[in-house]
Amino acid sequence: MKLIVKNVTKNFEKKEVLKGINFEFEKGKIYGLLGRNGAGKTTFFNCLNDDIKIDSGEFIIEENEKQRKVKIDDIGYVLSTPTVPEFLTGREFLKFFLEINQKTIQEPKTIDEYFDFMKIQKEDRDKLLKDYSHGMKNKMQMLVNIIANPNILLLDEPLTSLDVVVAEEMKQMLKSIKKDHIIIFSTHIMELALSLCDEIVLLNHGILEKIDKENLTENELKDKIISALKEENNV
Amino acid sequence: MFKTFILSFKLRNTYKVNTIIYAIKQLPIIRKILPNSLYQNRGIKIFANIISAILEIISIFIWKLVYILLMLVAPLSLYKTNMINNFFNIMLFLTIGGAFMNTYMFNPTKDKYYAMFLMRMNAKQYTLSNYWYSILKVIIGFMPFIIIFGRMAGVNLLSCIIMPFFIASAKILVGAYNLKSYEKNNIVVNENTPVKFVWGIVFTCLILAYLLPYLGLSITPFIFTVIALISIIGAIFGIIFINKFDKYREMYKKILTSSSMNTQKNAEKIARETVLNQIEITPETTSNKKGYAYFNEIFIKRHSKILSKSVKWLSYIIIFIIIGMIFFTQINEELRTKTNEMLMSSLPYFVFIMYLINRGQTVTQSMFMNCDHSMLTYAFFRSPKAILSLFKERIKSVVFINAIPAILVGIGLSLLLYFTGGTTNNLDYLIIFVSIISMSVFFSIHHLVMYYLLQPYNAASETKSSTYSVVNLLTYFVCYYMMKVKLPTTYFGIATIIFASVYCIISLILAYRLAPKTFKLRV
Repeated sequence: MKLIVKNVTKNFEKKEVLKGINFEFEKGKIYGLLGRNGAGKTTFFNCLNDDIKIDSGEFIIEENEKQRKVKIDDIGYVLSTPTVPEFLTGREFLKFFLEINQKTIQEPKTIDEYFDFMKIQKEDRDKLLKDYSHGMKNKMQMLVNIIANPNILLLDEPLTSLDVVVAEEMKQMLKSIKKDHIIIFSTHIMELALSLCDEIVLLNHGILEKIDKENLTENELKDKIISALKEENNV
Repeated sequence: MFKTFILSFKLRNTYKVNTIIYAIKQLPIIRKILPNSLYQNRGIKIFANIISAILEIISIFIWKLVYILLMLVAPLSLYKTNMINNFFNIMLFLTIGGAFMNTYMFNPTKDKYYAMFLMRMNAKQYTLSNYWYSILKVIIGFMPFIIIFGRMAGVNLLSCIIMPFFIASAKILVGAYNLKSYEKNNIVVNENTPVKFVWGIVFTCLILAYLLPYLGLSITPFIFTVIALISIIGAIFGIIFINKFDKYREMYKKILTSSSMNTQKNAEKIARETVLNQIEITPETTSNKKGYAYFNEIFIKRHSKILSKSVKWLSYIIIFIIIGMIFFTQINEELRTKTNEMLMSSLPYFVFIMYLINRGQTVTQSMFMNCDHSMLTYAFFRSPKAILSLFKERIKSVVFINAIPAILVGIGLSLLLYFTGGTTNNLDYLIIFVSIISMSVFFSIHHLVMYYLLQPYNAASETKSSTYSVVNLLTYFVCYYMMKVKLPTTYFGIATIIFASVYCIISLILAYRLAPKTFKLRV
C-alpha cells in the first residue's frame, strides 16, 4: 500500500504554504517529517485529514495496483495536545469506541487487554478522562487510533510533552505496529526523528523532500539536514 | 514624563486599532474581500484611528453619563423627600464607594502589562502619567453632567463644580492609602478582587446612599461641602505621596502576575474549566444503551448540573409563580381582569421568556467543549453516519429536557386563563398550550441546528464564526422585540405553531443534508 501525494497546493491568502507537493509514502515505514517552525507541517496534516480544503492536487491510496482517493477513515490523526471526551471514563470511552467500530475492528480484544497493551494502570481505568494526566490522555488518544487501525497514522509532535519513560514506551509501541501502517511523524526534534524513523522527509519552502541517509554517519546526516533547511531558506 | 505618556498612548492606540481591524475582518462577507495586509493599509488605519479616538471620547463621557443617569438621576426621581439633600447624599456615598471600586491604579489591565513588562517602559513615569490622565478624565467627564443634572435638581453651581474635584480627590486618597499599605505591610491591592473590607465599605455606602433619602435623613449640603473640602485638601498630600512613591515596578509585578492577570490572559482557560466542572460523576450516571445512545445518555446525565437539575429548579419556580398568580388573581379583581387581558393579547411576551429558559445554548456550548472539540479529531466521529446518529440522539434529549418546563408553563397559562375569567373561544386553552410547547421545541432545535450547521468553534474553543454570533444576536433581538408586541392570542398562537413546525422541518432537513459537511473543527 502506498499513499501518493500529487501536486498538492495550499495558499492562505497570498502566502503559499504548500507549493505542489509530490511524494510517495509506503507501508511499513515510519516517516519523520522535519521542518522549521511555521514550515507548514500541521497544515499538511490538516489537509490530509480534510480539516482544511486544499487548493489543488489530490491524495491517493494505491493498493494492489488499484488507485483510489483517500477517505476519512483511512486516517488516524494524533494531535500534539491530546483530545479525549472529558465526561467519560477511560473504560467507557473504549467501550463506546469498540461498539461504534465493531464492524471494522479485526480481532477485537477485551477492554482490559487494550489497557494492558497501553500500560494504563488498573486504578486509572474507571476515572473520568478529565482527571487524566497529559501523558495518560495522550496514551488513550494513541490507543484509540491504533485500535481503529487506519492505513495512515499521522502523529503531530506526539512525544515532545511526555516524560522519558512514557515516550520510550510509545516509541517501542510505534515500532511494533509499523508493519501494517504508514506512519508519518512530525517533529522538529532531530534526534527523535533519527532514532525512531526509517525515512526523514523535509518540509521546506512548501515542498517535501526525502533525505537520502545511506552511507552517512549520524553526524553527517544531521549536518546534511541542517544545511538543507538553512539553504532552502536563503533562496 | 510627557514623552512616556505619548509613547504609552500610541502603544495602546496601536493595539486598539489592530483590534478594530481584527473585528472588521471577522464580519461575514467583508472578511472575504479584505486581505491580511490590511494591518499595513494606511486608509484603513486612519479609519480605525478615528474609531479609536471616538471610543476614547466615549470612554471619557458616555460611561459617566450612563453612570450619573442610572445611579443618581433615576433613583432621585423615586424619592419624595428633599431633592437637593438627596442629590448631595447619593453623590457623597457613591463617591466614597466608587473611590474603592474604581481606582485605575490598581486595575490590572493588559496595556499595563504590555507597556511596563513587555516593552520595559519606565514604570513610574508610565503609571503616573496615565494615572493623572485618568484622574483628569474623571474631572472633565463628570463636570458637564453633574452641572446639568445638578442644576436641574436645584443644586447651586459652585457645589456642582466642586463635586467632580471631590470625586477625583477621593480616588487620589484611596490610591495613596493603598500605596501606603503596600509600602508598609506589603499588601497588594487588586481592584478586581476586592477584599472583605472593601466589599463592606462599598456595601455600606450603597445602603447609606439610597436608604437615607428614603428615611428623609439625607446629609445637608453643608456637611457635604465640609467633607468634600477636607478630602480635596487631603488629596494635595495624596498627590505629593503618589508622585514620590518609588516602587511602582515591583508593585505592578505583583499585581500583574498575581491571579487576576492570569485570569485576563487565560480567560479562555477559565471558561474551559468552568465548563469542565459541569461534569459530575456518580454511580447512577451510566447507561445500558449502546453506541451513540450510550454516549449521549452518559453525556446528558453527567451534565445534570446544567440540564435536569437546573430544569428541576426552573419547574419549581414556574409552579410557584403560577400558583401565586392564581391565588392573587382570585383575591384581587383588578389583577384578575388585567391578567386575563394580558393572557389574551401578550402571548408574544412568552417568546422571550421561553427563549430565556431554554437550555439549548448552554448545552451546545458544553457539547462542544466537553465532547465534540476532542471527538471531532477522530475520523470515525466525523463520518456522516456518526454525525447524524448523534444529532438524532441529541435532538431527542434536548427537546425532551426543555419540554418539561414548557409543559408546566403551557398548563399554567391555560389554568390561569381559566381562573381569571376564561375566554369566549375554548380553543384558546389548547392554542396557548400547544404554542408554548412549539416555542420550546423551536428554541431547542434552533440552537442545536445552528450549532451543527455553523459549528463556530476551533480546537481552542474560540468562536471563529461571526455568522454564528450574528445569528445568536438576531435571535435575541427578535425575541426581545416580541415582548413589546401585542396580538390576539388566538391568531398569534396559531401563527407560532405553524412557524415553529415549518422552521423545525426545514432546519432538520437542512441539518441532515448539510451537517456532515459543516460539522467540523474550525481551523
